[in-house]
Amino acid sequence: MVRLSELPEYEREHLISKVMPPLRPPAWTPQAKPIEEMRIALITTAGLHFRDAPAFSFTDAGFRPIPVEADANDLIMSHSSVNFDRSGFTEDVNLVFPIERFKELEEAHKIGSLASIHYSFMGAGLLPESYEDSASQVAGLLKKDEVDAVFLTPV
Amino acid sequence: MCALGYYLERAGLMTTGISLVRENAASLEPPRTLWVSFPLGRPLGVPNDAEFQHRVISAALDLLNRNQGPVLEDYPEDAPDVDLEDSPACPISFGSDATTWQGRLSAELADLSTWYQIGLGRRGGRTMVGVCTSNIEEIIERFAADLDAETLPDDLRWFKAAIEDAKAYYVEALTAQPGAYDPRQTYTTLWHETQLGAALRWYYDRFIAHPQLSGFARIVLPRDAIEGTVTPDKTEDTSA
Repeated sequence: MVRLSELPEYEREHLISKVMPPLRPPAWTPQAKPIEEMRIALITTAGLHFRDAPAFSFTDAGFRPIPVEADANDLIMSHSSVNFDRSGFTEDVNLVFPIERFKELEEAHKIGSLASIHYSFMGAGLLPESYEDSASQVAGLLKKDEVDAVFLTPV
Repeated sequence: MCALGYYLERAGLMTTGISLVRENAASLEPPRTLWVSFPLGRPLGVPNDAEFQHRVISAALDLLNRNQGPVLEDYPEDAPDVDLEDSPACPISFGSDATTWQGRLSAELADLSTWYQIGLGRRGGRTMVGVCTSNIEEIIERFAADLDAETLPDDLRWFKAAIEDAKAYYVEALTAQPGAYDPRQTYTTLWHETQLGAALRWYYDRFIAHPQLSGFARIVLPRDAIEGTVTPDKTEDTSA
């Protein structure tokens, strides 16, 4: 479990060093339709990509597309951080990128539909502001795909 | 991840998501976040447990129904601990009396290769190996050449991809048998019992002492391995 109170001091210090003030002004998009009608995209910061896409570099604010029809079992990970478990992802891609779970939700009509393309970033070594350009670019792509909401997963 | 939520929301897209470090989400105030207590690297909690994963997703999706924010909610369920007594035993006895890195690493790779293939079969051919342009034999050979010559790699982009593949290959071999594994146990074996772990520690020590390349050391060894006790589920890069 990741509770600061249970971590060694050097680990607490590291995580607290990541604490930063919020980006401003506050951003909030109000709900316009029920979840059952929403088109949803997944975005992970786990540094996932297919073998024919470039690996993420040491620090990299870019993104890699993951088409919904592609086999997510072919995804690999080139995240720079060595400080998290990869063995769970080895067993089940959905542990990090829950695409099969969302396909099940779509089939059960618990969400409206899934985006045509999902995206992976790598969350490591950069300040939050470093992602402004690439996140804005992905936002444009998602809006063209008529996406209503994004489900974000860290690693 | 918090930053992505902010910029997407600013562009008119609703966002919801998971946070593994509550303090981080509390400070950056992304619009809607579900904090989970799961190990780092496991945001959906439990591999191959669709019902568990659906419960987490449902709780995070429900945040889309809130009419004001930021929302930071705590998920009440912990991921179950793995009973170590039920975990498969490590299939390899590590240790080689070879006098060179080349000898020790090659012998270790030969021992692991059968288990890697067994793991590959159990996972239906799925593997995390493939970030690097070199195959595992070339990777190990180049590592050994560096270590025996006591030189650092000159192509750091290749080296980053190579250590990713080497670790993936080892972890997949160590967890080849069916059953539940405690990641802490797997990583303790990797970092403290294998020649690869010793090799990466050698690289770490040289990088950290290098006047220009010390920053590279942090992608070679996890902090807990440096501190002595490996618990890879307890650290995270959270800047995105």
